[in-house]
Amino acid sequence: MRVSFWTLVSIFAWLMLIALLVVPLGSVLLSSLQDQAGNFTLGNYTRFAETPRFRAAFVNTLIVGFGGLVGSLLLGSAMAFCMARIEIRGSRIVSLLAILALVSPPFIGAYSWIVLFGSGGLVRQTLMSWGIFIPPIFGLWGILIVFSFKFYPYVYLLASGALSNINRSLEEAAESLGLTPFQRVMKISFPLVLPAISAGGLLALIHSIADFGTPRLIGRGFNVLATEAYTLYSAEVGSNLSMATTISIVLIMLSMLFVFGQRYMSRRNVYHGNLINKPVKKKLTGFRNVAAHGVVYTIALIGAMPAFIAAIYSVRRTSGPVFHPGFGLESYRRILYNLADVVQNSLMFSFATVALIVTIGTLIGCLVARKMSVNTSLLDATLMVPYVMPGIVVGIAFVAAFNAPPLALTGTAAVIILSIFIRRLPYSVRSSASALRQVSPSMEEAAISLGYSPARAFMKVTVPLILPGIVAGGMLSFVTAINELSSSLVLYVGSTATMPVRIYIAINDGDYGTAAALSTVLLVLSSTAIYIAFRLMGRDERALL
Amino acid sequence: MSYLAVKDASKQFGGSVRALDGVSFTVERNEFFTLLGPSGCGKTTLLRSIAGFADLTAGSISLAGTGLDSVPSHKRDIGMVFQDYAVFPHLTVAENVAFGLKARKVPAAETAARVAEALATVRLGAMATRLPAALSGGQQQRIGLARAMVIRPKLLLMDEPLSNLDAKLRIDLRDEIRDIQKSIGIAAIYVTHDQEEALAISDRICVMNAGRIEQIGTPQEIYADPRTIFVASFVGTMNVLPREAASHLGMGPDVESGRAHQLAIRPEHIRLDQGDVAPDSIRLAGMVEKYTYLGREAHVLAQTPAGKIVVQLADPSPTLRMETGSPIPLAFRRQDILSFDSSGMRLEGRGN
Ligand SMILES: Nc1ncnc2c1ncn2[C@@H]1O[C@H](COP(=O)(O)OP(=O)(O)O)[C@@H](O)[C@H]1O
Ligand SMILES: [Mg+2]
Repeated sequence: MRVSFWTLVSIFAWLMLIALLVVPLGSVLLSSLQDQAGNFTLGNYTRFAETPRFRAAFVNTLIVGFGGLVGSLLLGSAMAFCMARIEIRGSRIVSLLAILALVSPPFIGAYSWIVLFGSGGLVRQTLMSWGIFIPPIFGLWGILIVFSFKFYPYVYLLASGALSNINRSLEEAAESLGLTPFQRVMKISFPLVLPAISAGGLLALIHSIADFGTPRLIGRGFNVLATEAYTLYSAEVGSNLSMATTISIVLIMLSMLFVFGQRYMSRRNVYHGNLINKPVKKKLTGFRNVAAHGVVYTIALIGAMPAFIAAIYSVRRTSGPVFHPGFGLESYRRILYNLADVVQNSLMFSFATVALIVTIGTLIGCLVARKMSVNTSLLDATLMVPYVMPGIVVGIAFVAAFNAPPLALTGTAAVIILSIFIRRLPYSVRSSASALRQVSPSMEEAAISLGYSPARAFMKVTVPLILPGIVAGGMLSFVTAINELSSSLVLYVGSTATMPVRIYIAINDGDYGTAAALSTVLLVLSSTAIYIAFRLMGRDERALL
Repeated sequence: MSYLAVKDASKQFGGSVRALDGVSFTVERNEFFTLLGPSGCGKTTLLRSIAGFADLTAGSISLAGTGLDSVPSHKRDIGMVFQDYAVFPHLTVAENVAFGLKARKVPAAETAARVAEALATVRLGAMATRLPAALSGGQQQRIGLARAMVIRPKLLLMDEPLSNLDAKLRIDLRDEIRDIQKSIGIAAIYVTHDQEEALAISDRICVMNAGRIEQIGTPQEIYADPRTIFVASFVGTMNVLPREAASHLGMGPDVESGRAHQLAIRPEHIRLDQGDVAPDSIRLAGMVEKYTYLGREAHVLAQTPAGKIVVQLADPSPTLRMETGSPIPLAFRRQDILSFDSSGMRLEGRGN
């Protein structure tokens, strides 16, 4: 019975991966290898390599990728070091701010920076009236600033975890062997947290490469692969799917390259933390104390600034897209009367996605954790692929695969739900597998020896123990699902627009009031989900990554 | 017919790992039977096969007259105590203990009475409503014990139940386990790699090595009459000397004939020759290499013509000094020397 059940799960998982991953990716690859008439050709790749516009986009993608990486590394490790090793007042608030930065969608970040530092931006205008001229934030530097302050929490959360888990004796031993504090940091602490920092950096890099909203809104002519793919796909006239798919393939290759590169680099260096001899936090005084607090709070506040700006601007008085002095609820009223269906779509899609992710992710997670075999390792490895697929690529792949019978799904809610589902599935599988691995197998064996059949033992003992983790994981998936922009933007039609899509459109139209109000609704929903998750599994910021 | 009978049990993992290799033994009702051996010798594998969590590659197991081969583990009625306690963290202490009774559909009133009794036995009566996370390791293992006993199983299995506890608690709890087992009269198989624990707790000990049984016997037999060189060295401390040492140990031509491969003598069987030893003693001149004072006893490592020998001195005087390099005359009796052939088997019975 039991064996055949897991075999069924395994078969189902593979069928699902074939339908939602292999077929779409295959379609993308196929389409990139065809000319307009449908004949095999490498012409698209040649054209990609020869066209200055695409070459520029390729280089720009690398620039924003590594720029975002460097910025996140600088901000994230500075903050991690201060928070893990120095007594910072209000450190709980600081990490709340970091979470806020992490969950607010990147396009809200772009929007808020425009509001403050755009051509008519509040801060920029004020400074100009004092005679200080700064250029508007648009272009490369704008993108890099947004990325750095948006993605630094990846580095911060991973590195501070590693830093506060280093066995204190290691550093004391180094000190007693005569190393100066600087040598000690470079020779002991840094190598020990390097795997964590590089993992955080990788997340920043991948997200920077994949992000579509930020370069689109703030780039103003600074194009990257993700925006080029979208432009080619969505052009009213001369839409070029095979060029869009070619760019998608390049984008996937790039992400894969970095993921495997990072894995290869940190493969040898897995250090297990310790829970007993933790480092103590130093209490600084005087100038150094002020400086440390300054660094931490500056990063945290700037990172969370977009969320605050959105909240404040959502209650400014507006008429149409124009802001007026004073406060009012017109923007929310507009959502209520005109955009209720968008909110409803977002909620429905997200709940459906989460339901799918939780059930299927948990089943596959159990399979991967409990039934070790070549099959399950292969399954686990295949699930890495959606993990590195940029949203825009998933969108285009789903269009390529599902726009004709037998699977004509384009324009339906299902296609949006499935596209978010497949991207989030790896997280869910990983987290439920690891929740399951935390439950000692002897726990189930104890129940069996007490007279429960294996199936009942699983239900009575294992399920209650992993349930909080699974619900918490579902909440975090909800956050991802409801904030998803890029694949939905490719896949939506009028009746299936979601909040992020609508925010994107509103910002493009200059309707900042509506964008702010929708963003605030998103942030409130996300924060609620995270609050529930943390209540269930204990506060663990790293679960957000 | 024995109560529990394991016959020719073999277990092979993958291609080459033989975790069990033709193991046979029996356990009687009320008996406290211990599996003793170094880590990796197959004790856990054997125990899990009896519990039904692992299938034997070959061999059979029967309990109370019925073969277990086709009985699934949850119908075997065998209680199990785990090294990592395996206490259910989401249930209170009392709910943990009642867990097995629920599966047996024992009426509520009887369940309450039996749980209370079991908790009293392991001295956890006051903790009934607590969650296990708030309890110490020793208390958690007591829950594990009560939970396994309360279902009145046919057999109780314990896999290194004390190895995660600190030394003092280990001694207290092992005595408790022993007392409880005797008072309820249950057959128990206890796994440990700690020879002192095995000697203290068992009716009989089964010494295992590399998937095979080396010797089964009472603690006295295992310690004083080891049948193999492995048992002799694994249980207690033993001076093991090569056959070349024979001439210095006053051994006759029967050994010279070549059958003995290794010779062994326990440290407590060697004494200092202060002119008061029996006339038939064998004497050996040595030189002190190291003196270790342990309070109740002291160990002297002596360099002798027969090789390095550890001598145990009972109740050493605090003023006794042994300088490195000073001469130390040793004496022992011929019959305390054990000899083993080249395959590690004992050659002759013990002299006395
Ligand atoms: N599931 C398994 N797969 C492969 N080898 C195993 C497995 N379980 C145990 N072994 C091997 O079987 C041998 C005996 O293991 P075990 O019974 O756990 O020993 P012990 O409990 O005496 O320490 C060891 O060599 C171990 O590596
Ligand atoms: Mg073991």
